[in-house]
Amino acid sequence: MIARQDSGGSTVRRLQLGAQLRALRLAKGVSREDAGYRIRASESKISRMELGRVSFKERDITDLLVMYGVEDPAEHERLLALTKQANSPSWWHTYGEVLDNWFQQYLDLEQAAELIRTYEVQFVPGLLQTDAYARAVIKLGHNTASRSEIDRRTKLRMARKELLDGPQAPRLWAVLDEGVLRRLIGGRGVLREQVESLLQACDHPNIRLQVMPFASGGHAAAGGAFSILRFPHVELSDVVYIEHLTSAIYLDKQDDVDHYAAAIGRLFIEAEAPARTPEILRGILADLDAMEDEKPD
Amino acid sequence: MAPRPIMSMLAPKISESTEDLRTTRKGALVTEEPAANDGAQKLDTNVPQTARIWNYLLGGKDNFAADRAVGDQIIENVPHLAEYARLSRKYLARAVRYLAEEAGIRQFLDIGTGLPTADNTHEVAQRYAPAAKIVYVDNDPLVLAYAQALLTSSPEGATDYVDADLYDPATILQEAGKTLDFDQPVALMLMGVLGHVESDEQAKSIIHQLIDRLPSGSYFAMYDGADTEPSVVEAARIWNLSAEPKYHLRSPERIEAFFDGLELVEPGVVSVTRWRPDAEAAAQPVIAQYCAVGRKP
Repeated sequence: MIARQDSGGSTVRRLQLGAQLRALRLAKGVSREDAGYRIRASESKISRMELGRVSFKERDITDLLVMYGVEDPAEHERLLALTKQANSPSWWHTYGEVLDNWFQQYLDLEQAAELIRTYEVQFVPGLLQTDAYARAVIKLGHNTASRSEIDRRTKLRMARKELLDGPQAPRLWAVLDEGVLRRLIGGRGVLREQVESLLQACDHPNIRLQVMPFASGGHAAAGGAFSILRFPHVELSDVVYIEHLTSAIYLDKQDDVDHYAAAIGRLFIEAEAPARTPEILRGILADLDAMEDEKPD
Repeated sequence: MAPRPIMSMLAPKISESTEDLRTTRKGALVTEEPAANDGAQKLDTNVPQTARIWNYLLGGKDNFAADRAVGDQIIENVPHLAEYARLSRKYLARAVRYLAEEAGIRQFLDIGTGLPTADNTHEVAQRYAPAAKIVYVDNDPLVLAYAQALLTSSPEGATDYVDADLYDPATILQEAGKTLDFDQPVALMLMGVLGHVESDEQAKSIIHQLIDRLPSGSYFAMYDGADTEPSVVEAARIWNLSAEPKYHLRSPERIEAFFDGLELVEPGVVSVTRWRPDAEAAAQPVIAQYCAVGRKP
């Protein structure tokens, strides 16, 4: 089991700590330059710290808290504890050798999210993939990888799924294009097992699935798959995640988040209601079974 | 009060807009009858909407620039309105608890659901009566999409969602009747909703068409903004400059007249902070949000 911390991975801890340091500095009216001087660093170092992009030295945090007039020892202790957590390795660190850098941050964010809204056009979302389906998807992306590397990557993906049954599991709310449920990733048997698994997922209290049928023409998110992660901290904005073949984009500017939130809102409205999903999945299972019957010997 | 974007990522900004895409429904493969849904038309993010402005005032993240603009303007002029919104939600939770725990109500008709927040009606009701049935009614498609996915019942109880307008009680009753048994007592909830109806006569007509269908022993619970504070009058004026639908404040006396023919539950028509207050509410002043619960004899 993944030992899930109070609110997830180090990325989110750094973001939280950075946001709090910024608020404290602004409340005291200290410039970034003066703060940087205090910890023998540059203005841009302060900026990077406040944006959660770098790790923190405890000594620097203590110096800054003194400068920002934080006198309460309990508050010092709390922020130093947050510093330690921000510097501690994430649950996935043992998979480092098969993890692309750009994906590590996503795993941290996913781990800390309270709500994951996602739209998929091609594949079943990673958190819902069966072992065989995941293996087939991973082979598509890494066709020259060794057997053992594919095993490791599949194992990592399966480990991620424990998130949904953890004590602070996020809600996963997904719109799946009908194509996701029809494309024979891994072959008919693999897809069938995957669709069965999605049918079971419909009863999971933290999972909501909606299907966007082929019957719906062009729609609100013609751009492709994306996810929006929400965190249980008022100071953290939603983050849009868009994956590419060799990199990923994270968007958290209000304007960008608004665009994607509107797009997924429209998808939720247009797609079949969650209550209809089991019936649709059963229909697809029947189609898959019929497919075998039609196959000539 | 909006969460600031604090993750400044290296990735380039996506500039393409999804705003212009229109949706169409062509033939149907999965669905026999394509629903007449059109997300792009139904989710207009440019017009400030009640549910999303309240979401913003309550510290939520499901709002858009136009909603935040109204919210910010209100908070700038009437800084305590966000607190009033929160205190009104707290009253809702106490009223639902009273109805489930003390009045023994097991069926709730919550018209004007709003976006999910802490202590939604079914969560409170099912905490005290796990088998409670709740029908959420709203005419905002985004609210309904959120309700269907996130306001879901305990296994023992039931929740259902009705897309209907407050001005159409016949449809509300017809659809709600699929889940609720109108031979058993029902709690009718109009929380912060009647202010959207300008004329007292029309409001009374709506209330009575709904109540008349419910058996003796049913309840009617509500709150609304009152015209008892100049600052709230100002907030309503700002609201009505751009937000939809408009909001009309009433005096506590006019609110009391909505309960003609019903037995007012103690303490009658009072500030939301005075209705069977817990310690937190009791410590707050009387505010210009008035409420009452009445029983049908």
